[in-house]
Amino acid sequence: MKKVSNLIKAFSFLGKASVMVMMLFFILAIIPSLLTSHSPYIPSGGALTPPSTLHWMGTDDLGIDLWAQICHGARSSLIVGFGTAFLAAGGGSLIGILGGYYGGKLDGCLMRSIDLMMVVPELPTMIVLGAFFGPSKMNIIIVLSLFSWTRPARIVRSKILSIKEEKYVKVAEGYGGGFSYLARRHFLPQVFPLIMVNFIKLISRAIVAEASLSFLGLGDPTSKSWGLILNHAMSFRGIYFTDFWKWWIIFPLLCIVLMVLAISLISKEIENLLC
Amino acid sequence: MYWIKNKKIKEVIGIVIIGMMLLSLVGCGTSTSDEEAQPSAVASEGEVKQEEEAVVLRLEGGDWGYPSPYLHYSRGPGGYKMQLIFDSLLESGEEGVIPWLAKEWEIAEDGLSYIFTLQQDVKWHDGQPLTPEDVKFSFEYFEKHPPVWNPVMVGNEPIVKEIEILEDNRLKFILGEKDATILEKIGTVRIIPEHIWSGVEDPDSFQDEGAVIGCGPYKLTDYNKEHETYEFTAFEDYWGPKQRVEKIQFVPVSDEIMAFENKEIDVIGIGSDLLDRYQNDPQFKVLENPAFWGYRLSLNMEKNLLFKEKDIRQAIAYGIDQEEMVEKVARGAAIAGSAGYLPKNHIWYNPTVKKYPFDEEKAKTLLGDKKLSFELLTGDSNAEVRIAELMKISLEKIGVEIEIKSVDMKTRDNAVSTGNYEMALIGHGGWGRDADILRTRYSDIPGYENEQINALAEEQLREMDIAKRKELISALQELIAEEIPMIPVYNTTGYTVYRPNTYDGWMYMFDHHSVSHGKLSYLERE
Repeated sequence: MKKVSNLIKAFSFLGKASVMVMMLFFILAIIPSLLTSHSPYIPSGGALTPPSTLHWMGTDDLGIDLWAQICHGARSSLIVGFGTAFLAAGGGSLIGILGGYYGGKLDGCLMRSIDLMMVVPELPTMIVLGAFFGPSKMNIIIVLSLFSWTRPARIVRSKILSIKEEKYVKVAEGYGGGFSYLARRHFLPQVFPLIMVNFIKLISRAIVAEASLSFLGLGDPTSKSWGLILNHAMSFRGIYFTDFWKWWIIFPLLCIVLMVLAISLISKEIENLLC
Repeated sequence: MYWIKNKKIKEVIGIVIIGMMLLSLVGCGTSTSDEEAQPSAVASEGEVKQEEEAVVLRLEGGDWGYPSPYLHYSRGPGGYKMQLIFDSLLESGEEGVIPWLAKEWEIAEDGLSYIFTLQQDVKWHDGQPLTPEDVKFSFEYFEKHPPVWNPVMVGNEPIVKEIEILEDNRLKFILGEKDATILEKIGTVRIIPEHIWSGVEDPDSFQDEGAVIGCGPYKLTDYNKEHETYEFTAFEDYWGPKQRVEKIQFVPVSDEIMAFENKEIDVIGIGSDLLDRYQNDPQFKVLENPAFWGYRLSLNMEKNLLFKEKDIRQAIAYGIDQEEMVEKVARGAAIAGSAGYLPKNHIWYNPTVKKYPFDEEKAKTLLGDKKLSFELLTGDSNAEVRIAELMKISLEKIGVEIEIKSVDMKTRDNAVSTGNYEMALIGHGGWGRDADILRTRYSDIPGYENEQINALAEEQLREMDIAKRKELISALQELIAEEIPMIPVYNTTGYTVYRPNTYDGWMYMFDHHSVSHGKLSYLERE
């Protein structure tokens, strides 16, 4: 914990601001019901009322409070973002360490499957898989992870390849240190910053991917995610010729942009400080 | 010292970035209006020239299949494109059915034979003359190979028992039974050229140029499935009224209203929110559409036997708040559906049928203590998803759980036609057609059979006296409303906007909701 707070202290102003923004989104995601008295599922006012003291981000076409939807949407964005990053960064680095350490046929197999995953066009496949498995948060996380593990795996593997040749690793091996000992004591501490940076990059990628899948109508049509709010708003006929876009599009868009920007700034800071 | 400076610079950069982000958001809004203004000025100059020459109309595209009678998609935009190419004996005018390929007809006293006289000198697009044999052939061919639209069969029976070719370009249609709607039925059957189709064994895979040779006012001059574009060009040797529009082009657009503002397309449909923008501007003309397009909720009684219970169907009808949907989803531009199916604008609408306003108490009493849950299949258009969401919310209040499954339109249409759904929300046109639609609509509900409805439906079909038939139709609507085997949700009205300077020949067919579908919209009229 102390390490983390020291790290954040070393951040620049932009980095600290980004951390603040992320904290705010976390609060939204954790206690949405404390922050809003309206339901994100049931109409609580007239349709398309502009922002007011009662609905301070206005309401959508069904009369559902937008602020409530955005709070609940923060949760699904973060779940998808962190879930995907966890699976992909965790799985990817494990594969990278295994491939890098053992080399030989195992490494060959893993690297070729990475090559394979990299040439598969991502968005079309995600759309097909999304349509095939049906829209749900869990499926989106799995599908996104399937396409995101290759990058951390490659980076970690090349790092391991160079660590493996270090003298102290050779010595440890000579004294009988097995894979799990080496991985714990020598590999993980050194590749951790790399994984961390990738992890954070993956979060923002997954959030955007989730928003775009929902926006394309492949998410769960009744869930409340930011992409879906935008989807409904933008498919409202001629929304730019009415006043409704001023709240119905701007607020969810602002949230997506802010969150992704904050995450990328944090990852840049970590990269500067750790790597 | 250095790092302080650096830090300051970073702060400034941060503020600038945030400022730029906000600006870009605002910019999104204003830049669109700039973009509108410029091309429109250029386009209007072009159009002045166009008017002296030939009118080229551009309409919203989309792939609706190859416009042959067998390959078009079974929805309005597909079927009416096909009908631009293929004429029929009669046509839908503003007030009712009008003579077309048949310039006049006589009805025998027993009501069992009809004699049609064809127009003279009708030519196919390939220059060959149209003969009475072609007409006879078309009916026989469609009997063997049913087309997508305008069938010549009712159930398993052909509508016409026999066709005789008389002299002087006349044909005699002999019926097996009396049929009150026979004129519409015979009148809408497309006429196809015998010299092309007589050699076609499998019309569903016949897709060369011959498949779109008709005798209608327009020839297909371009179709691109991938780009979703069509081009129809006026047929110079057309027998009938002169075409006012030289070319009709269907072009892909991403946002209909934006495209209209940029003069990329010439006619659009809008809801009530944009009415103010166009209504008081002399540059535009606004028409209110008749409510002949609508959504209904289908209940599949084969998939779920619970729907066979009238109480449950009625409870669901009471549990759906039509008025809320009209207000929120259609933004007021719709009329709540009538439980008797025929919409309020229909000439034979019966206003006394049982109504199902949203009523939680009644619905709960009807349901008793049953807890139900259903899967609702919808398309993926915004309106459908929103209707489904409102249904879910209001049905939850009466204790019915709904799980929404949203798929694309074609998948939904296919699931509905193959009966692969539990509850389905479906939207389509044709609600303004002859009241005989009640017979076809309510006879093919999966798992539902009602002797009384079938008997009444059959009786009205055989009743030639209009007043008596109207009474039967009213009774039929009352029965249907009480039984409620499917639930009409609402019928959209909406508005059509166009620029009269570009083209002002738009017209509604008497039973149809869209001005761009009827071929008369593009022809000279008296």
